[in-house]
Amino acid sequence: MEKSVSNHIFMWKLCFRTSPGFMIYTIYDAFRQQFLIFLEHTVAIRYVLYCVEYGEPFYKAFLVVGGVLILYMVAMIPDGYYVHRMQLDSKPRLYQALKNQLYEKAAELDLKCYDDPRFYNEYVLVVAESQKSVDDFLKSINTFVQSITLVLTTGFFFLMTDAIGIIFVIISFILSLIFAKKINRLDYELKLQVVPWERKRDYTKRVYYLNDYAKELRIYPQLGKYLLSDFLKCNEIILNEKKHIASKRTGLLFAQSYLAGNFILEGIYVIYLVFQAALFHTIDYSSAVVLFNRTGGLKRGMNMFADSIQAAGANSLYIGKIRNFLAYIPEIKRGVGECVQNKHGEIEINNLCFKYSWDSEEILHDISLKVKPGEKIAIVGYNGAGKTTLMKLIMRLYDPTSGEIRYDGKNIKEYNLNNYYEHIGVIFQDFKMYGATLLENVILSDVKDVKTVEKEVEEALDNSGFGKRLDSLPKGLYTSITTEFDEGGVDLSGGESQKIAIARAFYKKADILIMDEPSSALDPIAEYNLNKSMQKVAANKTVFYISHRLSTTRDADRIIMLEHGRIIEEGTHEQLLMLNGKYAKMWHLQAGKYIMNECSAQ
Amino acid sequence: MNSLGEAIGNNFYALSLMWRICPKQVVHRAITRFLGYFEWLFYSAFFMKYVINSLISEKEISSILFFVIITIGVFGCISLYNSYVKGKIEPLAQVIINRELNVRIFAKVQNVELSCFEDESFYNKYMLAVNKADECLTEIIDLIWGIVFGAIATCTAFFLLYKIDKWAILFVIFPIIGNFGFNKVLGRIEFERNKDMAPYNRKIEYINRVMYMTDYAKEIRLTNVFSLMKKHYSEAIQELINTAHKYTFKGMIFHWLQVIFTFSFIFEGLLIYGAYRSLVTHALNLAELSVITSIMVSSTWILISFTESLMKGFKNGLFIWNLRSFLEYEEKIPEDYDGIDPGEEIKTIEFKNVSFMYKDKMVIRNLSLEIRKGKNYALVGHNGAGKSTLIKLLMRFYDPTEGEIFCNGRNIKEYNLQKYRALFGTAFQNCSIFSMSVAENVLLGEVSEKDRDLVKEALRMADVYEKVKTLPHDIDAMLTKEFSEDGAVLSGGEFQKIGIARAFARRCAVKIFDEPSSALDPISEFYLFDSIKNNCKENTVLFISHRLSSVQNADWVFMLEGGEIKEEGTHSMLMEKKGIYADMYTKQAENYLATPAHDIKNGIFDLKEVTHGKEC
Repeated sequence: MEKSVSNHIFMWKLCFRTSPGFMIYTIYDAFRQQFLIFLEHTVAIRYVLYCVEYGEPFYKAFLVVGGVLILYMVAMIPDGYYVHRMQLDSKPRLYQALKNQLYEKAAELDLKCYDDPRFYNEYVLVVAESQKSVDDFLKSINTFVQSITLVLTTGFFFLMTDAIGIIFVIISFILSLIFAKKINRLDYELKLQVVPWERKRDYTKRVYYLNDYAKELRIYPQLGKYLLSDFLKCNEIILNEKKHIASKRTGLLFAQSYLAGNFILEGIYVIYLVFQAALFHTIDYSSAVVLFNRTGGLKRGMNMFADSIQAAGANSLYIGKIRNFLAYIPEIKRGVGECVQNKHGEIEINNLCFKYSWDSEEILHDISLKVKPGEKIAIVGYNGAGKTTLMKLIMRLYDPTSGEIRYDGKNIKEYNLNNYYEHIGVIFQDFKMYGATLLENVILSDVKDVKTVEKEVEEALDNSGFGKRLDSLPKGLYTSITTEFDEGGVDLSGGESQKIAIARAFYKKADILIMDEPSSALDPIAEYNLNKSMQKVAANKTVFYISHRLSTTRDADRIIMLEHGRIIEEGTHEQLLMLNGKYAKMWHLQAGKYIMNECSAQ
Repeated sequence: MNSLGEAIGNNFYALSLMWRICPKQVVHRAITRFLGYFEWLFYSAFFMKYVINSLISEKEISSILFFVIITIGVFGCISLYNSYVKGKIEPLAQVIINRELNVRIFAKVQNVELSCFEDESFYNKYMLAVNKADECLTEIIDLIWGIVFGAIATCTAFFLLYKIDKWAILFVIFPIIGNFGFNKVLGRIEFERNKDMAPYNRKIEYINRVMYMTDYAKEIRLTNVFSLMKKHYSEAIQELINTAHKYTFKGMIFHWLQVIFTFSFIFEGLLIYGAYRSLVTHALNLAELSVITSIMVSSTWILISFTESLMKGFKNGLFIWNLRSFLEYEEKIPEDYDGIDPGEEIKTIEFKNVSFMYKDKMVIRNLSLEIRKGKNYALVGHNGAGKSTLIKLLMRFYDPTEGEIFCNGRNIKEYNLQKYRALFGTAFQNCSIFSMSVAENVLLGEVSEKDRDLVKEALRMADVYEKVKTLPHDIDAMLTKEFSEDGAVLSGGEFQKIGIARAFARRCAVKIFDEPSSALDPISEFYLFDSIKNNCKENTVLFISHRLSSVQNADWVFMLEGGEIKEEGTHSMLMEKKGIYADMYTKQAENYLATPAHDIKNGIFDLKEVTHGKEC
């Protein structure tokens, strides 16, 4: 409860700071709705009936009803402004105010949070749906204020005319709450029973619907039969579970809607009203009519109040998650520390060990390595040897479990991360293109004056081999990438996108370049061309190149062979062949067939 | 989709479909809807009038009590029925509808040709439409009865009002104008506005995706792309607001008109009119006036809910139409196609002048080739050269646009499709892993006792049995964490090997390997090709690979480019020819062959010399 209040205060502060006018009007609007309905359906109707019952002059009724009409006509003018302007202006801004905070946090979150599915599902995904929490918050303000207005106004009317009526309404309300709770409990228990089967049922459905499985389903017709029988079995179980509780559910529903509802309000209460009006004459007929008509309204108000409290509780859980997310303190902090002093520093790795979390296996063991500025290092090894992880540590996406990485004589932890990253260029296999202009896709940053960088970007694209394609684009550097948001945009082929990824590295002028299997998905010719353009980027830089294909890395200054997280061999290609160890074996396996063939051809 | 006739036709189809699936649902929904409106009208029009009239005319209290008790008794029965429907009929019907509808849909999904899945517009239009078909259909049935009984209830309410005072009925014109006239305009304004806003909302959605998806996490940290995304976000919001402003004035006017016409004019108007009729002309008594006040409220709301049902009924037309088109879609290659039994042997396969268009693009051009029993064939070529398409044509996932494919001298279209496909064991580049046991994943069907050795053997051939043995239940270990926490999740390469084991496990004439090594490291790849060579000696083998070193052992190589076979022959024949194959091969091989470092052309460190020069 306390938490719920504090969560809602957090939300209120955020919203009020962003759009104070809108928030105040939102409260007024909810009040206005119920207040006008009260005037119309309770005050005005009751007054007209009263006039008729007691033969009051017509003009009195006319004035009261006319007054309500004018009030409505006036109140609806700002209402239109609220619906068609204020809401549309303010809601996106409220979303933005919240999301910017979340995005900021998501961007500085430790990368390992993404590896942990529990953390990811629990928190990172709140970013995805945060908009809903604002909507829910506004909605709960609205129902809360409406229900209070409704209960207070109508309650006041009951108190003034016949206070006992309230007792009927309250009894009916409490009874239906009790039954509703029982029904919820029953449904919840059913859900527990049924959910695993429903998930299984939905899985079958997914297999049928998704393209991923379509081929297998066609080649293996018996697979379809197998899945279908599973599906039918799940349905049968769900059906039985539901049958099992059906009569209990029927009974409870009847108790809730009838015994606690109609029976009291339309039966007992009506009889009470008849007695009061006809026998004791304590209530006049016109009041009796309105009292009877408004019992439903009063009860609805109470229900609304109960619902709004429940909804607020649910939303509070969500807001709580958001706040926890925002309160997360990343281990790797950006924006603090010193700047890198010299370009082209030496990289020194000392006794580095790493595991992803305390309970997982160690990925890297006791790695030590010195890399001179400008040295070209190739890293080879089997899948899972730890090649990519080592690179991620150099990029400081993770911090080592023990040991250290030094750049230009200092532990990289001491550097300001933003500054350190300016010195590193990366080409991944899974690089991304963004729905932005070509220029923005190369610089990957928000530059105030784009004109000043145009030339550099063009040069970078030229160097990466994209120059010709650039000339063919009508809007040049300002062409949108992807046609998703701009019909005049272009969809680039895989090879073209790769050139842009390389252009990024050219533009960045980093002194360390890390390339992680950029070509593994390509056919031989495309790979050949890619390597050609990468040669140029690599010039002048310290390079780490991860590759499966030993042919591309044989002329590196040094080849590092990793196995199970350890450096097992190290040296030039020739040295390693001489050593006749694992590298040599791998090389011969790959080259063997080519060489054998060459020999036979000669 | 706008014509009334079509909308009625569609809704009628939905009704008849539901009638076939679950007639109970149709009947009970109709009755509950009817009773709902009946209760509403009874209380607002009849009940009140009777009680007040009796009070005014000072009838015996007992007769009033009798009436109230009878009423409450009758509605008790109705309520019991409603509870029964909600408590029992509905929940069970839900399951039955889900089952019946999905069984029909599954049968269709499994029987349509593969290209339906790959055709984005078909997929988005139909597959996604039928995804939540059970819920939608139930809702539609409810809506249909809402429209039918809503119309009746609206008329009845108006009629009752007319009976009390014939001029009072004129006031219902206001809500009718408000509901059908101004509301419609408002709907159009909203539609236009949403349309104008859609691109910006899509952009905002996209930015949101970038910010939380793991795929982007690395780049967001390493670059400044976050600031770029923030800028785009602000811009999109500004555009949203600008768009909204364009419609403010128009929206305000129609909003005002709609509310005032729908509610105020009829409520306040009738009140004043009723007061006038009672107080000045004395045509109405208190009971009648009371009924007017309650009936004006109920008739307005009945009208509103009727219009809403009507609007939704129009909108649902599109969904029903999609569902119907899907269920009635005529398969181009029905999966259950029955034809000649192809037997168990494949002596020859022949492509004769086969061309294939895919999405208006020629993917295969006038291609002819021949495959003979027991030989080993390699398909090579660039990405997009048409290699995988060729395999799909062979397995009859697609039919050629032109030309014919023959198997044992007969057009493959003549064979029973399932029996024909059973002749092939295929390992795809991107195989899917099912949430089943390892053994079931290899056989993709039920596993009998005698199959177990076969499964193990196949896993061994695919070089993954050693790994499987480490799992808790050996080949019965569950894969993926979909249903159980302790389901096994293997690496991409290991999953691929399980996919490869499928091809090994299948007892069939032809084995096809479509880039089976894309997720494997060089050593595993080497062993895999070795294994294929050794274990498929009796089979005809067809494989696609980028790494030409593995191609050399093939009996015959097809070199594809632009959907055509550019070269074919044995490896040495093609090398002698010095064509594209030879070029491709040399480019891959040269670094393995060249000895002195400066000869290397395919490495990435060519400029080493220059670099060092500059640095010094």
